[in-house]
Amino acid sequence: MSDTTTTTSAAQSADVSEELEELEDLAATQEGGGDDAAGTPPEDGAADERLNFRGPIQRLLTRPEIGALAGAAAVWTLFWLVGGNFGTAGATANFLDVSSTLGIMSVAVALLMIGGEFDLSSGSMTGATAIFVLLVTTQVGELGGAGLGYHLAIPLSLMFALGIGWFNGAMVERTSLPSFIVTLATFFILIGAKLGFAKRLTDKVIVARDEDADPEGWEFWSNIFAGQWRAQDNVWAQRDTVWAILMIVGGALLILGTIYMTFNRTKKMNPAGPVVFAVGIAGSIAGFLLLLTTDGVTNNIIWGVLTAAGALVAAIGFGLANFDRAVPVSGAMPAQVPKMFFGGLISLSAGVVLGLIIMSDNEESIGLLGGGFARTVFFVGLVVVGLAALAVAAGKAPPSAPLIGVAILAVPTFTFLTTVQGARAILFAGLVLIGTALMLAAASQLRSASSSLAMMLGLATVGVLTVVAFIIRSQGTGRQIRVELFTSILIGAFLIGLGAIMTFLFQKRTGPDIAADRLGGIVNSFGFVALAVATLIRLLFIIPEQAGTNVGSIPLRISVLWFAVVVIGATFVLEKTKFGSWIYAVGGNTNAARSVGVPAARTKTSLFMIVSSAAWLVGMLTAFRFESVQANVGDGLEFNYIIAAVVGGCLLTGGYGSTIGAAIGAIIFAMIRSGIGFAGWDSNWQFLILGALLLGAVIVNNSIRQRALNS
Amino acid sequence: MTEFLELRGISKFYGNIVALQNVTTTVNPGEVTCVLGDNGAGKSTFIKILAGVHQHDDGEFLLEGDAVKFESPREALDKGIATVYQDLAMVPLMSIWRNFFLGAEPTTGVWPFRWVDKAKAMKIAVEEMGKMGIDVRDPEQPVGTLSGGERQSVAIARAAYFGAKVLILDEPTSALGVKQSGVVLRYIVEARNRGLAVIFITHNPAHAYPVGDRFLILNRGQSLGNFAKEEVTQQELTQLMAGGAELEELQEELSAAISGVDK
Repeated sequence: MSDTTTTTSAAQSADVSEELEELEDLAATQEGGGDDAAGTPPEDGAADERLNFRGPIQRLLTRPEIGALAGAAAVWTLFWLVGGNFGTAGATANFLDVSSTLGIMSVAVALLMIGGEFDLSSGSMTGATAIFVLLVTTQVGELGGAGLGYHLAIPLSLMFALGIGWFNGAMVERTSLPSFIVTLATFFILIGAKLGFAKRLTDKVIVARDEDADPEGWEFWSNIFAGQWRAQDNVWAQRDTVWAILMIVGGALLILGTIYMTFNRTKKMNPAGPVVFAVGIAGSIAGFLLLLTTDGVTNNIIWGVLTAAGALVAAIGFGLANFDRAVPVSGAMPAQVPKMFFGGLISLSAGVVLGLIIMSDNEESIGLLGGGFARTVFFVGLVVVGLAALAVAAGKAPPSAPLIGVAILAVPTFTFLTTVQGARAILFAGLVLIGTALMLAAASQLRSASSSLAMMLGLATVGVLTVVAFIIRSQGTGRQIRVELFTSILIGAFLIGLGAIMTFLFQKRTGPDIAADRLGGIVNSFGFVALAVATLIRLLFIIPEQAGTNVGSIPLRISVLWFAVVVIGATFVLEKTKFGSWIYAVGGNTNAARSVGVPAARTKTSLFMIVSSAAWLVGMLTAFRFESVQANVGDGLEFNYIIAAVVGGCLLTGGYGSTIGAAIGAIIFAMIRSGIGFAGWDSNWQFLILGALLLGAVIVNNSIRQRALNS
Repeated sequence: MTEFLELRGISKFYGNIVALQNVTTTVNPGEVTCVLGDNGAGKSTFIKILAGVHQHDDGEFLLEGDAVKFESPREALDKGIATVYQDLAMVPLMSIWRNFFLGAEPTTGVWPFRWVDKAKAMKIAVEEMGKMGIDVRDPEQPVGTLSGGERQSVAIARAAYFGAKVLILDEPTSALGVKQSGVVLRYIVEARNRGLAVIFITHNPAHAYPVGDRFLILNRGQSLGNFAKEEVTQQELTQLMAGGAELEELQEELSAAISGVDK
């Protein structure tokens, strides 16, 4: 031992002497200060200055699925702006149908990924169960005659799937090998078995139902797995009225719940509160009714303003009744605030100007700028990337330098891809969003310095946005998009103004209030449901004006219903049950979970079995819909499931994610696939968009997780 | 009088290696027993015997006067002996209340629709953390946002809530800075004041002495002494721990080395 220590003795002696000094210091303070560390109870604040309170909006922003939700809205809006019939009921039914089988799998895969494992055999398992059913119903029995009945074959195939899931789980647990390797083996075994059995029993690689010698039960199970309704008549004259009412009610509930969760509840109610609230509500309803029943721009503006003002007064009344008044803060303005404000203003104006300049109804779908110029830019971009990479390698440039070249490359790619309409929409929306975000950031910077200035800055943002909205509206050549943009910008402006005024008037909460969180949460979920129903109505029904050109026969398939059932079930399990907590725990820190008595092995094995039973469900949906299955069906789709789960907010390392997010991820996937068709783009571009989306999703997810851990 | 938990001449052998030999100490409710020792002194073997991970080969392990030998960690836990391991305590990305109740979630509803009673769980977690002197403002906050000391305290509060009578803390301060260590020491005192018997494993006498009522010093598997607080000073503890004479030698060597550098 001594000869090893001599070599490092210099370093060690420094360490030891430091440690000794520290010990002496500690001993000295203890003698001087008495039993300081031991005697006094911990004081509040000193021990937990990091336990900050997070408001409902901050909490929402740390949810894993929030990125996917924003992405879905962006992708939908993009295709709606760019392409022909994307907003119609038919297109919606189309992308929902495409998303259903993908979504069922990605939700199950998300559960498994949150539990910290992967399943590469999930794709080929969907095909394996389908082939299993078709083989045993056609081939088992006397010399290739009718096989087992479907009533027996279907439960058997579920057993088969559960068995494979159990095998995956047990192998991962027993061998402690990474699940990547174990399920890769299962993947190959399944592919081999599918091909081998299909060839051996039918001499073909396609297994089909034999209608002539069909055993009992096809009809029954076909209704369950492949039912569909062809809707010829989903034209609904009242759609917009119902939609508007649901949107308003849902939005109001969301605002109410969020306000209730944000501010500090008061001990003694201000008696003026309920009166002000009632007056506000009455004004708002009156304004809205007049808005609906009168015509003309002037009338619309007057009654619209009355509606908004009434809602604002109602919110203030609600606040007076429930919350403490804020103590005003005033102080110097932080230096960066004017910069941010004017930056925001410039970005907003640029958005409007650009929007106006290239505003035309040109819907060409090939290249904005034409080939020659784009080619030049592309070449320059490549050269810049190359040179920058060389410079980085030589240590002369920061590692991010090639990004400039990437930005240059993006221009021609972008212009090849999109139409004039699309480019305009993207530029406009991007600049307006950036501008608004900058102005709001300036306002939040100001909040700790001066509450009245912060409110004024918020209201200034409202003013600018209102002007933007009216400029857009004045360009009315009748396209639907302008009216909807006008309305949504005004609603956004109203929310910003409401937030600014409420924050100025009332005290934000800094402590726990579980009762308020609970009630607010319930109100919010009603709001969410109303908004979701409204969105579905908007997407799945068309009004008579649209019907003339667009209505067709719209197939609504039962697979979409199965998708919904799986999403709701999986979300309930993950968020509300013991087992859900255990999934998060085994993925986040298996050893910690084990040490408090969570059955980690059982949890993981159950997750593999959940994935395989989801694969069974998808296999049944495939077999009964197409009635014949190729031996390679499903192979290779496992990465799509993982991509959808990651886009939906699952971490590749486990312990974090969301089933609703994964479902939204699958819907985004499907929207891109069918949206490209509707927009008339070359469908080969879908992989480029998917790649960009995946990269973006991973970056956003990472920052969400960081925010969750740092807020 | 019977001691609450008593170890008499406990020994443990791995093959022909003596991991622990003839160790004797007592632990009582409302007291902190510190187990001190340098690396390789046998501290972890000692904990693992108490926690039911290993079984002793010789000697007596008395719990409330009855001789016991735990076959599994679960059995030790059921008897009220809870162990807080330094790095195994928490799942960072899970909320405080989910971590607090992990493995023992309160449920409500009728099977198969049984769900976690979140409101109750959150309320209890906030209350129990309050008893440790931590004001949790948001039980939904991920544990990863807490500091190392606070994470330890969540684990301590959890063990106390689930009926632990004996709380074993495995090096809770070793990875922490000076200030954070102070925070954890406070929680140890807090747990003691609530009537728990605390076994505090550490290699730092400066952390052990202020909070401990009894000190067991281990060196290379042997017990160097089992003292009540009034029988020993912190200086003596440090000396004993580092092997007395060896430390003096080291100090001389160091001062020689330092003066050598000065010249």
